Amino acid sequence: MGFGLLFGMGTLALRFLQFLVPSPKPKRYEAVLIGSLSRVPVGEAVPMDLSGQKIVVLRTNEEVLAFSRRCTDLGCLVSWSKEREQFLCPCHQGVFDKTGKNIAGPPPRPLDRFEVVTRGDQLYVNIQSS
Amino acid sequence: MESAASPVERRTGSKNWIDYIQKDLPEHLDWWPYTLGAIPLTLFGLLVTTGLLLTFYYVPSPDQAYESVEQITHEVYLGWFVRGVHKFSVDLMILFLLFHVIRVFLTRAYRTPGELKWVSGSIVFFVTLGMGFTGYSLVYDNVSYWGMTVVTSMLGNLPVVGLPLMYLLRGGEEVSGGTLLRLYDLHTKLLPVLLGGLVLGHVIIVRLKGFAEVKGSRGFHPFYPEHTLVMGAIAVGLLVLIVDLVMIFPPTLGPPANTQEVASDVSPPWYFSAAYMWITLLPGPLSLWSLMGGAGLFVVYPFLDRVLLERGWPMPFVNVVVGVLAVLVFVALMVLDVRM
Repeated sequence: MGFGLLFGMGTLALRFLQFLVPSPKPKRYEAVLIGSLSRVPVGEAVPMDLSGQKIVVLRTNEEVLAFSRRCTDLGCLVSWSKEREQFLCPCHQGVFDKTGKNIAGPPPRPLDRFEVVTRGDQLYVNIQSS
Repeated sequence: MESAASPVERRTGSKNWIDYIQKDLPEHLDWWPYTLGAIPLTLFGLLVTTGLLLTFYYVPSPDQAYESVEQITHEVYLGWFVRGVHKFSVDLMILFLLFHVIRVFLTRAYRTPGELKWVSGSIVFFVTLGMGFTGYSLVYDNVSYWGMTVVTSMLGNLPVVGLPLMYLLRGGEEVSGGTLLRLYDLHTKLLPVLLGGLVLGHVIIVRLKGFAEVKGSRGFHPFYPEHTLVMGAIAVGLLVLIVDLVMIFPPTLGPPANTQEVASDVSPPWYFSAAYMWITLLPGPLSLWSLMGGAGLFVVYPFLDRVLLERGWPMPFVNVVVGVLAVLVFVALMVLDVRM
């Protein structure tokens, strides 16, 4: 009987825990229009919020890149430093280069990168949204 | 009451719980370093009172949280004072808990039969830090918003339990209104009840296991009126100190939470500042593991002490060295945080 009671209580506790922990929502990729190429001057990075996804679009001499602004260390937001040509995280001094690679500080991996598609003069970013 | 009194009766020979409370205390409890445990207890009472008052105005929603704190600070009659007392009480509670830990550590008062006193006390300490974290998150200014993000991300990095724990705290993938509500629930309901129970348990364990023996201290000190008077005097002294501190440093409020821009200085309150610098200086997994490992060692230290002593280590000397080093590292990291 003791075991049965324990089993019942355990199952109930597990269900309560499931109640408290929301399950992740399914995600799908979608292309979001972010504007014309002229919106992002060469050497600049423009931060944007695409339905909750905080991204930064960087235009170098060669190409246009889109990164998640979320620092891969502990989730603060990185900002572009034009002088240093690096992404800097103010929380724990993480540094990423212009390809998003982690080069200094605690971040364990590069910034998440999104695909940028150019259709005519318009830029689209493929982001994951729920 | 009978069932509660029975184990007491067995140990103390007292007939009822009043005799048990009135049991003589050793003289050394009047000496300053040995009153350090009762001070956090007094402050805990003050925190519950002022916390309860603050819940009458605070609104745990992202749209209104900051405004309600602003209202408390600038509009409500004596609101700034109540918030100030709450804030300084938690600062002092953590400070005196640290002093208390240092005193117990240096005098090795956790030796048999005091292991359970140490273990229960160390859990009280961690839950108090949890109260500190959830409390400053509720202010919902920029520092607290990004503090929430960083701390919950840090927990998310733990193996196996990390992600579910992060989802549990955040109420979803991102820090949101749900997160604020969950931290509010933790801060005003679950953690205070837990902390109250733990503090009570700690005090009962201390009374059951007895106070540490100190040379030259005799047990001729009745709880009432002598000891109660000393504690009363300390409580009054603390109140005067807190009122002075609130008058001189009234509570302030940083800029509101900005989900698009990290605050220029995201330094947490002083009691997290050493841990904050530690995770800044060391690479992610190493800093997290060393913090968790350190906390684990801290909880089981009495048992570690026993093992090392059996192997011939000079533990009184080791504790002095470890204690001094720990304090120096803590202070050095805090200074570094202020300078950066």
